[in-house]
Amino acid sequence: MAAVDHDIAHAHDDHHPTGLMRWIGATNHKDIGTMYLWFSFIMFLTGGVMALTIRAELFQPGIQIVNPELFNQLTTMHGLVMVFGAIMPAFVGFANWQIPMMIGAPDMAFARMNNWSFWLLVPAALLLISSFFVPGGAPAGGWTIYPPLSVQMGMGMDMAIFALHIMGAASIMGSINIITTVLNMRAPGMTLMKMPLFVWTWLITAYLLVLAMPVLAGAITMLLTDRNFGTNFFNAAGGGDPVMFQHIFWFFGHPEVYIMILPAFGIVSEIIPTFARKPLFGYSSMVYATASIAILSCIVWAHHMFTAGMPAAGQLFFMYATMLIAVPTGVKVFNWTATMWRGSMTFETPMLFAIGFIFLFTIGGFSGVICAIVPIDIQVQDTYYVIAHFHYVLVSGALFALFGGTYYWLPKWTGHMYDETLGKWHFWLSMFFFNLAFFVQHFLGLAGMPRRVPDYALQFADFNMISSIGAFGFGLTQLLFLYVVLKCIRGGEKAPASPWEGAKTLEWTLPSPAPYHSFETPPVVK
Amino acid sequence: MKEKKAKLDGGKLLQISGAVFWAFFGVRKQSDLELDASTLTPAQVIIGGIVGAALFVGSLMLLVSLVTS
Amino acid sequence: MNVVNANSVVMKKLLVFTVVMFVFGFALVPFYEKICEVTGLNNLLQADTLVENPQVDTARWVTIELDANVRGLPWQFKPLQRSVSVHPGEMVQVMYEISNNSNREINGQAIPSYSPQLLAKHLKKLECFCFSKQVLKPNEVRQMPVQFMIESNLPADINTVTISYTFFELGTNNAAAMRDSGNRS
Ligand code: HEM
Ligand SMILES: [Cu+2]
Repeated sequence: MAAVDHDIAHAHDDHHPTGLMRWIGATNHKDIGTMYLWFSFIMFLTGGVMALTIRAELFQPGIQIVNPELFNQLTTMHGLVMVFGAIMPAFVGFANWQIPMMIGAPDMAFARMNNWSFWLLVPAALLLISSFFVPGGAPAGGWTIYPPLSVQMGMGMDMAIFALHIMGAASIMGSINIITTVLNMRAPGMTLMKMPLFVWTWLITAYLLVLAMPVLAGAITMLLTDRNFGTNFFNAAGGGDPVMFQHIFWFFGHPEVYIMILPAFGIVSEIIPTFARKPLFGYSSMVYATASIAILSCIVWAHHMFTAGMPAAGQLFFMYATMLIAVPTGVKVFNWTATMWRGSMTFETPMLFAIGFIFLFTIGGFSGVICAIVPIDIQVQDTYYVIAHFHYVLVSGALFALFGGTYYWLPKWTGHMYDETLGKWHFWLSMFFFNLAFFVQHFLGLAGMPRRVPDYALQFADFNMISSIGAFGFGLTQLLFLYVVLKCIRGGEKAPASPWEGAKTLEWTLPSPAPYHSFETPPVVK
Repeated sequence: MKEKKAKLDGGKLLQISGAVFWAFFGVRKQSDLELDASTLTPAQVIIGGIVGAALFVGSLMLLVSLVTS
Repeated sequence: MNVVNANSVVMKKLLVFTVVMFVFGFALVPFYEKICEVTGLNNLLQADTLVENPQVDTARWVTIELDANVRGLPWQFKPLQRSVSVHPGEMVQVMYEISNNSNREINGQAIPSYSPQLLAKHLKKLECFCFSKQVLKPNEVRQMPVQFMIESNLPADINTVTISYTFFELGTNNAAAMRDSGNRS
């Protein structure tokens, strides 16, 4: 077998540090994956508490619970924490656990760097959250940190910028690791075109990350120097331009939203064939569509800026480009549906989440296309309609895929079956409360309720109350998820190597729980 | 590492542009894909993709200028 | 080539790509400015060109209110008249005065702003002190003209408009100055 890396070679003896040192010095991809997943779950709860505070304030018109300053800090931090702390690290956790096992590699390519990418996240998250406690409070200008507000804010903003820098560096390191692992460490016979779709989508996502994250780093570096060193990149008075920040930010930002959804596509593309007991329909189309979405996602950014001042020709260009990007996305939805067509389907929890994903993500895709139509977007921009759109793609899209993936792979990770009944409860409650919380926000947006406001006019009261009830229901349901996972870790029915009849990928050839060191002798893939 | 001397004759160009076009649409036949995977080099596909993206942007701009004039 | 070397080759390539993209982020700044210049969007520092023989609409009056502000520098800045009434299509000149009340030399730049916003489209400026930075010696006083025309296709329901200028100091930390001057509401 190939001597891969001294880290991995070192791991040959079966002794590994125990206790705290096992985690601090972790270089094992499974340990690091576990830490990523717990980290992101903690951040998910943190961001969730912020969201529920927001929804509590919006339960009724008027100001009851938080003052407007704190409200703005909460909306901003909710966005930053969920995007950079919950969703992105969760997918990296999946990548760490699954990619080596799915391509037959013993570990990630750079085990030491893997450890750093994770541990950088922890101080970054602490820095970000402690900005609540400094004079002036946390950043409050929205997660998109537009100047001039972000230039004028107090030191909380500097802390957020540093935190973003660190998280950005961590995810670039993570991406380099993933790309290298996928390109160089596949088992013999595992050609690119035999790779499971989850690995493909992560490969493309990792390329998008190294493309987009440095641009964000540039933008926030400019913010930082504008704030502290007298440059005038975004300062109109000094010849700069605040609108330019929006362009640079969204040049990162739109690829970023695809960074958060492509791995979800990958997870769903693993789950659906397993429970439909049919190979994925149009595997090659799926690969091509993912690549195409990634490329096109770099030329649609200004659909976030239709009302920021743009000539009609520019609006039309970005409108057409955005609507065309929906085509490869639609192709994927068709492929998943076709995979289920005439399959012998069973509806275990992972499959429920995958089907819920397809159903609700499609709604989010459609509202995206509606936002892309300039004359409509001029009405709905910065209203709750946009909030509804991106929660349909991020919560019932990315997050549902993460839940589905967790149930799917939990037997492999823990060696126990999760409680199927509770899992199904988790799904149906999530489904119900999610729609209760967010569907009505479409109506609020169309009726003109602006986003990021702590108070609203009376005619919005009913829908806001419904939405808040849904949000609390959804939030509490996630404690059930925590319970199911903990229960599964601590015991339960013993999981066989392949608990799912239709599962075909390599990780199911390993015993459950997956041994600490797997595929040290690479399997041969025919 | 690999042969980089693949000749760029007409057929090859057609194959690359076909691959890129279908990639943008997001649909590709399995047999064509296997052919692409075995006969095209990554460099060819990447350059093809960039040219394709540029053409895509160009044609959109053309369309926009037609619409707005 | 063994796997360790192959891995570090890939890593190096990706690191180079990362640096290139970081630089690209900064390269967007001049690129953006170039686009604005070429397409004539957002040009604050250039004089407009006029159509030949503009039609003067003598039947219509538009009142222009003149507003002047300074932000964070020890100058006084005011228009010599509060407002003027003009016919659309007619060329007008108004005067502003700035005085430096400190004993240091200060560079300032004026940034215009219009209300309603739509006015920006219909206002043609031939000459303006805002086209370049103004350098004032200690205690210097200067009068400066703005020469402009309002196009006669300004929508008929607009009878009063405001042209506002704000002077900012150049070469200092504007962000800090803005924070310190209690700009946070
Ligand atoms: C069919 C594909 C999609 C289309 C056509 C689309 C279109 C749009 C448009 C036009 C906007 C701007 C709306 C406005 O601000 O007025 C928007 C906002 C947004 N989209 Fe999408 N989108 C799509 C898919 C996605 C996906 C997959 C995600 C993430 C997983 C996503 C996340 C977001 C977010 C986060 C925002 C709001 C950003 C903000 O202002 O805070 N979108 N989308
Ligand atoms: Cu977007």
